[in-house]
Amino acid sequence: MEQTDRSSRIAWAALLLASLIAPVVVGFDKYLIHVGIIISLNVALATSLWMIWSLGFISFAHAGFMGIGAYTSALLFTKLGLSMWYGLWLGAAMSGAIALVIALPLMRTRAVYFFMASWAVGEVIKRNFAYFRDFFGGWDGVFNIRAPKLDLGFVEVNFADRLAYYYLALFFVVLTVLVIHRINNSRTGMIYWSIHENELLAQHAGINVFRHKVIAFTIACALAGLTGALYAHYQTYISPKSFDIWKSEFALVHVIVGGLTTVGGPVAGAISLTVVDELLRATGYFRTVFFGAVLIAAVLLLPGGLETIPGRLRSFFKRSDK
Amino acid sequence: MTELLQMALTGFNLGLMYALIAIGLTLIFGVMRIIQYAHGEMFMLGAFTLYYWNAEFGLNYWAGVGVSAVVIFCFGAILQIVLFRPLHGKNILYSLAVSLGLVLIISSSGQILFGTTVKGIPSAVTGGVLLGGTYLSYERMVISAVSAALIIALWFFLRRTTTGLAIRAVAEDPDTSALQGVKTRRIHWIAFGLGSAMAAIAGCMMGTLLSIVPTMGFLATIKAFMIVIMGGLGSVFGALIGGLILGMIDSVVTTTISGDVALILSFVVIFLILVFRPSGLFGQDWE
Repeated sequence: MEQTDRSSRIAWAALLLASLIAPVVVGFDKYLIHVGIIISLNVALATSLWMIWSLGFISFAHAGFMGIGAYTSALLFTKLGLSMWYGLWLGAAMSGAIALVIALPLMRTRAVYFFMASWAVGEVIKRNFAYFRDFFGGWDGVFNIRAPKLDLGFVEVNFADRLAYYYLALFFVVLTVLVIHRINNSRTGMIYWSIHENELLAQHAGINVFRHKVIAFTIACALAGLTGALYAHYQTYISPKSFDIWKSEFALVHVIVGGLTTVGGPVAGAISLTVVDELLRATGYFRTVFFGAVLIAAVLLLPGGLETIPGRLRSFFKRSDK
Repeated sequence: MTELLQMALTGFNLGLMYALIAIGLTLIFGVMRIIQYAHGEMFMLGAFTLYYWNAEFGLNYWAGVGVSAVVIFCFGAILQIVLFRPLHGKNILYSLAVSLGLVLIISSSGQILFGTTVKGIPSAVTGGVLLGGTYLSYERMVISAVSAALIIALWFFLRRTTTGLAIRAVAEDPDTSALQGVKTRRIHWIAFGLGSAMAAIAGCMMGTLLSIVPTMGFLATIKAFMIVIMGGLGSVFGALIGGLILGMIDSVVTTTISGDVALILSFVVIFLILVFRPSGLFGQDWE
């Protein structure tokens, strides 16, 4: 057990180091840095979705809450002129607050029905952005959401630069993953998994299942809102289409392909599938077809997801030792 | 008054067709406990089969509906055997991911194969009658009649035949019915094929009323899911009622206010139904 803990720690450190030096390795290539930022945002989204999954349910409203964060931050910037440094936190807070209000009635539903109800919530959020044209800009969306500047006194960092934004995104992704990892490894995380395993039993053991569900959902949605704000200021343009059901579905797919039991799963899934998606760009029209095929193959051929690969390798080598 | 009647008739017509798609979905869920996200794609493929049969090759319309149903039945059965059978009994998320992959593959290869231009199937029945100020087109009447007949036929199939009984038994308790000698694997592909064929027939009906495009499956999936959640997963009767509710909302709100509001309102209705009845109107509490 201790050994696996150490090796996973080494793996995390290696991943962090790799992502820190990645821009240097790729020679500051603009496109590849863009891919890096997209990967970071996808990792953050998938990981926060995984946190909801650790309680045993899956939300399809995740892109919607990401949208709330993005729109809050974007409108604060375009209407009030507040930079992203405010928008990030206010976006996350707004997303969390709405999640809290919605979760109270939503948590009455269970299993498949929760899944479906959250899907309706996500659609309503998106449709509202489209419907209130005067405030949210309708289907056209919000334009000119500029990235912030950071004045450190001796040097001024302009985050409109891709490289700078990459490190900013990386910072917040590491923060998101770290928060979720800490929660998951704490006593609260064990409570979450007990709810995952058997809700009724957890309730009888004196756990306030409803409260834990609502709080976990709120935290995860606030983190999704944070990711949304980062997304808005990177793309400089958002529309309701950016937060449609496919965004949630892709986050879910990242979690499933990556693995469902550890925090490494969604991270691995988001990184590898985003890379696959970008590699398939060369195939033009057939991109989506191939992506679908990769997805089905991954699910059928690698049950348990990417996270099971280390264990498989280990048992493979052990067997060959004999 | 006549306007109201017109809206009610359109809503009823729409609702029956929605119910046809949704019943297939609810059947698949009830028997296999999988979320078939590519159900709308079956609807789309059904419509395109009829399009090639009827509009391109000029063959008989009603025979085309039958051919389309048979083709999609086989397609659905093969999909079940190849892709969904290995995942049976595993976490519901895996089969969901596979069906999401299917949506991507089918809808985008549809765009490559069929092209993105809007197509239409010529109506088999034309004309109409003016009744007390409301216009009744024969086409819509025929479509309503066919949809209703199919729903009743399915109901009889599930209630009166041995295979129907086996389907209901597997939906109720797979292990016990397997012990009683029901071939659950066979029931699985039959139910999957049957559900897909229902969607295909709905696609054929809808294809003459509306235009057909390779991306139309997604909206059908959304509608079908909305209905199924409203009525309760696994409940055929619930899907019928849910379909009629959604058809009415679509018809009445779209004509009086706007299409956007109709969609938002139907989501709000679903949300409220789920809050007060967490398993839908006629559903069971699935684990």
